[in-house]
Amino acid sequence: MTIQTEPSARADEAPDAASTPRRLGRLSWLLIQTGTVLLAGGVWWFASTLFPPSTLPPPAEVIARLGELAITGGFWVAIAITLGTFALGLAICIVVGIPLGLAIGANPIGAGSTRLLFDFLRTIPPIAILPLLLLVFGAKFEMVLVLAVSGAIWPILIQSIYAARQGEALLAEMSRSYRIPRAWYIRHIFVPGAIPFVMTGVRLGTTICLLLTVSGELLGGAPGVGFEIANAQAFYDNTRMYAYVLVAAVLGLIVNGGFWAAQRRLLRWHPSVRREQHS
Amino acid sequence: MSAVRRTGLIIALEIWLPVLLVAIWWFASESVNSVYFPSLRKIMTAFVENWLDPMSLLDNLGPSLQVILVGYGTALLVGIVAGTLLGLVTPLERAVRPIVEAARAVPGVALLPLFIVLFGIDQEMRILLVAYGAAWPVLLNTLDGVRAVEPVLLDVGRVFRVGRVRRLFRVILPSAGPQIFAGARISLAITLIIMVVAETVGASGGVGYFLMTAKSEFRISDMWSAIVALGLLGYLLNILFRIAERYVLRWHRLQQSRLGGAS
Amino acid sequence: MTPTSSDSTSTPVALEARGLGHSYGPREVLGRIDFAVRRGEFVCIVGPSGVGKTTLLRCLAGLQRSTKGELLVLGERVTAPQPGVAVVFQDYSRSLMPWSSVLHNVTLPLRANGVSRSEADRRAREALTQVGLAAAVVHQYPWQLSGGMQQRVAIARALAYNPTVLLMDEPFASVDAQTRADLEDLVLRLQHSLHLTVLLVTHDIDEAVYLSDRVVALSGSPATVADIVDVPLGAERDQIETKGTHEFAAIRAEVHGLVRHAATSGSGSGSGAEA
Ligand SMILES: Nc1ncnc2c1ncn2[C@@H]1O[C@H](COP(=O)(O)OP(=O)(O)O)[C@@H](O)[C@H]1O
Ligand SMILES: [Mg+2]
Repeated sequence: MTIQTEPSARADEAPDAASTPRRLGRLSWLLIQTGTVLLAGGVWWFASTLFPPSTLPPPAEVIARLGELAITGGFWVAIAITLGTFALGLAICIVVGIPLGLAIGANPIGAGSTRLLFDFLRTIPPIAILPLLLLVFGAKFEMVLVLAVSGAIWPILIQSIYAARQGEALLAEMSRSYRIPRAWYIRHIFVPGAIPFVMTGVRLGTTICLLLTVSGELLGGAPGVGFEIANAQAFYDNTRMYAYVLVAAVLGLIVNGGFWAAQRRLLRWHPSVRREQHS
Repeated sequence: MSAVRRTGLIIALEIWLPVLLVAIWWFASESVNSVYFPSLRKIMTAFVENWLDPMSLLDNLGPSLQVILVGYGTALLVGIVAGTLLGLVTPLERAVRPIVEAARAVPGVALLPLFIVLFGIDQEMRILLVAYGAAWPVLLNTLDGVRAVEPVLLDVGRVFRVGRVRRLFRVILPSAGPQIFAGARISLAITLIIMVVAETVGASGGVGYFLMTAKSEFRISDMWSAIVALGLLGYLLNILFRIAERYVLRWHRLQQSRLGGAS
Repeated sequence: MTPTSSDSTSTPVALEARGLGHSYGPREVLGRIDFAVRRGEFVCIVGPSGVGKTTLLRCLAGLQRSTKGELLVLGERVTAPQPGVAVVFQDYSRSLMPWSSVLHNVTLPLRANGVSRSEADRRAREALTQVGLAAAVVHQYPWQLSGGMQQRVAIARALAYNPTVLLMDEPFASVDAQTRADLEDLVLRLQHSLHLTVLLVTHDIDEAVYLSDRVVALSGSPATVADIVDVPLGAERDQIETKGTHEFAAIRAEVHGLVRHAATSGSGSGSGAEA
């Protein structure tokens, strides 16, 4: 519950602040939110009457097409490939990035030696190596995976280094003054202290990983949802293209939701969670 | 005397690994002789040709810089304005939350075909796509930052009858500054990714165009030179960003270093 | 209880609560509160932690609207923050803007109320001098100063605003004892020289008696005015001499009794009233 994105509005807000209406129930909000979504659909529908029909099909048509696609195998294969590549890429980044980052950060020489290097490498737009990967791997799933990993690893690695550096600084003081055993310190102070920093990196990595997975498929022509979008557009089948864009949005929602659920489990206790940066 | 030596040691510590890696790359690429991995010497020659010559620089970098400046600038402006609005007007934010969540969850590049259909394949389309994709991190961070303003400071503003506009610019936005910058940094990374992707379609110049053309024409050294150029571009933009941050958030940096002691 | 005391009934009332009550949702915090503060008076409100002192002060400042009764400040019903009323908040580290220099913290209210830049600067520097801050600190950030100095900045911000009424919420609660005594004397001195009406909220009975012309003791849950005690210790006060007098001890004991009675008979909100 500390993870909620909205800080609860203070009950004693401004007497003059019109922005604090009487509290509405959960149900009322759900209705209002449904209304907004319907309104957005309405705007879309209205806009579709302004453009030539092939350019911007009305929402109902796109939804209908989505329904048709959902009974084909290719649709689910594309989703499975995209989600699978994303998940594998993120897993590799986590498994490699966190321990490596913590190890480097915990060692002042390691942190110093890699600072300039990582600072440079992480600012390279990962998409830059897409053509190279295409040449080496071809338009395949491995190409997308390497692309995703090469981008998503940096935030995770850098945040882990940072986490460990903070922890080390504390350790130096603590062990001097209290002579705390190192194992105990790592278990009870270092790791819990590092988790919030690491999670920030993982959140950034999650966004970048999905972005790059879709980019690789879309640009590189490797199978997946990104490819389906580009392919539909290449055949001027805009309705199908919009349907797959909606799929990409849903994938984004699922991935975000998954991240928050994981974070909630890990960081139940941490008060600063909701003040962290978004990605 | 020890201060100078210390600085020297730190520089040596930070520089030895990059130097070593570049050296390894240099010698390894000379001897490996793979088609896809030309020698670093060749890459550098191509780099000088394509990215240091003023004329080709204008062709290859000009359009990209335009997309970055206008697109990223728009993203910052829209993100900060919309984020502030949603952060201040809580009911509005709650009402549109499902739409915001969905819209920001779309990986920006997935919208490339859609933007092509809607806006054509010209520079405007690329700028709009970058602006759209890069606006979300700033927007969401601004929203959070605006919400996290110290309530006592808002009370101070009201007690001393500070008007809404002044309260916004002197209290709320400065307080959200660190969060906004954190978002803007993420947006910068996303800007570069979307820019390259968008430049592969219908462009006649720009880094992304150069990169993909070089690849399809099998000019491997040129392709590599574009990778190097993109790396340098990213690094330079980050340095500029950092300078802006140091300047605008001077108070925050000083306060943090005071609170955090050594770090 | 009569809000006016025997002498000086002719002095106009600066601030008055009539049947003031406040509830947070179903929870009633303030019962029926009646008291008045005359122009130029120094009144302290004491009560244990959690009794509702901050709530009362926020209502007076116009930061929140009371749910019952009415409040008059300088003859006007309070519905929003009034001109002529300045507030010093308890937590200096949170009430000063960390991104602005000391000077800008002090000038912001002035600039916001239409004072020209040069005039605002002049008044801010004057106020900073009045609270005993050296000219060297004006361009520093507040968090570069000690706690006591930060609270001086907050006081200077209030003074520069040129208020008639100064409201203070436990202003000295988070500074060390010596600084606290200095700041108490500073506020007393300023109150005399600037003819301020001061309403100061505190849980410290010694501080309340030392500072004020009258002490309003709050107690119970919902809180009501247990009594209003006159403090006829004269205008000149001294940390050691005044506190050593019998009158001081007697008044202190009286207020103590009122608050302790509240703590034992009330809702058991703790004995936060110890000095
Ligand atoms: N915004 C609020 N919402 C609900 N309850 C509050 C709020 N502010 C204060 N309270 C409650 O009202 C009571 C009085 O609070 P306060 O006025 O801060 O007391 P004091 O300043 O005397 O310590 C406390 O029990 C507190 O928990
Ligand atoms: Mg209080």
